Amino acid sequence: MKCDRRTFVKGMGLTVAAGGAALSAGCSSMPSSGEEMKLRFHEYFKENYRLMTQLEKEQTVERLARLAKLNHDIDVQVGTQEPLEQVLYGYAFNVSRCEGFMDCVTACVKENNLDRNSKTQYIRIFEMEHGETDVGSGDGKYFHEVPVPDHYYMGVQCFHCESAPCIKACPTKATWREPDGIVVVDYDWCIGCRYCMAACPYWGRRFNWGEPHVPRAEITKKQHYLGNRLRNKGEMEKCTFCIQRSRNGKLPACVDACPTGSRVFGNLLDPDSEIRFVLKNKKVFRMKEELGTDPKFWYFID
Amino acid sequence: MPKLRLVTILLLSGLLVLAVAPALAGHGIMEKVKEANEPFDSLQIDTPLPKNTVQVKEEYQGGAFWVLSRKDSIGRFPCSRCHGKKKSFKREGAALAHGDIELVHGQGEERPECKSCHNEKNLDLLSDKKDREIDFDHSYQLCGQCHFRQKSDWVGGAHGKRHTYWIGKRVVWNCATCHDPHSPRFKKRWPSTYSLPLDK
Repeated sequence: MKCDRRTFVKGMGLTVAAGGAALSAGCSSMPSSGEEMKLRFHEYFKENYRLMTQLEKEQTVERLARLAKLNHDIDVQVGTQEPLEQVLYGYAFNVSRCEGFMDCVTACVKENNLDRNSKTQYIRIFEMEHGETDVGSGDGKYFHEVPVPDHYYMGVQCFHCESAPCIKACPTKATWREPDGIVVVDYDWCIGCRYCMAACPYWGRRFNWGEPHVPRAEITKKQHYLGNRLRNKGEMEKCTFCIQRSRNGKLPACVDACPTGSRVFGNLLDPDSEIRFVLKNKKVFRMKEELGTDPKFWYFID
Repeated sequence: MPKLRLVTILLLSGLLVLAVAPALAGHGIMEKVKEANEPFDSLQIDTPLPKNTVQVKEEYQGGAFWVLSRKDSIGRFPCSRCHGKKKSFKREGAALAHGDIELVHGQGEERPECKSCHNEKNLDLLSDKKDREIDFDHSYQLCGQCHFRQKSDWVGGAHGKRHTYWIGKRVVWNCATCHDPHSPRFKKRWPSTYSLPLDK
């Protein structure tokens, strides 16, 4: 159990009022050591990620790794890789190839350290009847072997809109669009108001209603500050195109896991990339294009 | 007089809207994509080539690319180890004569048989309809003779998948890495999990 912002401040106020020095008094779980208390103190008063200097980024990442060691007894590497120059990520999903095996979903859960208790998933796959285009009519809880005749499968996740309504809705500027097009969240700056969740027309955001739980053995240790590092209760999270992978040149976990090759990922600014080939040569469409959110996620058919 | 002023203001604001609108519309993603025609240095990150890769005998829009090899993942390759002068017992026949292979590929008269793809003269090779010899690692040349649409999509990047990296040297999966050539359709199976409705 970690201490959330509200109980922390409440407790701090009380201890200060009582003339006490223990900052941890407000927390339901006491930090086990003075070191942890010190780390949490510095973590609490750090800047928004976008305002941090390189040194501050390195310091917070070091603290987070140490906290993970103290709390979960694991050695994580939290990265702060900057976006690559001349890169704008784009994604395409082949609706005529996907056969609904959902290996992408499980790969995503594993890679991004998603809460197992609430079964949080960034990706949803719906079984849709042929001719049906409204994704709301799809069934995600299909309980049979796939694929079945006269149906197709449609994946929905965060579309990383160029003109993202979730960013505009955030009152604390805790979510923004990175130069490489990825819409990210500074988990420590999020106050959990869920305005972004309400603003997103694609149901792309997930909220941690409880303390997220990931079995210790299953925690992905290669992490990114804006990506799959361990989250806390009351924080918003979302797909980041696996920022910890993509900024190191790797494909997102869902693309890597797809057994049918329905998922295409690449650089929209590279005229030779696969994603550009799809946009140029395939029949593509975007979900709810008329809203003007300008998603960087295309569906295509063979 | 106030009427004239109102008309001028309306006219001016109309002009302003006309001048600003195209500028606003020009920031969309499609415009950005259309404007981006400069070549991108995809070798700026040096990605390791997987061990079992061969260079494809064709080029994609970005130049040379690589494909996962096949020969090292075929169980009893080279085929000439058995298909040669080697003697074997009759009782081993069933196990050795590919009794496990069921050909579920194509329909009706188009249905291929063993020798449609395997080279009768040299079983370590494949051969296409024009009897050109094709290496197992380059089986895409063979598949492409019928599945030419999938082949051109595969070369361009709309079919198949890349290996691990989106940047660096382009390495893609071979046709037979995903598809069993004797039964190319994916087997039906249970999904690994389920999804909640959109608003949950």
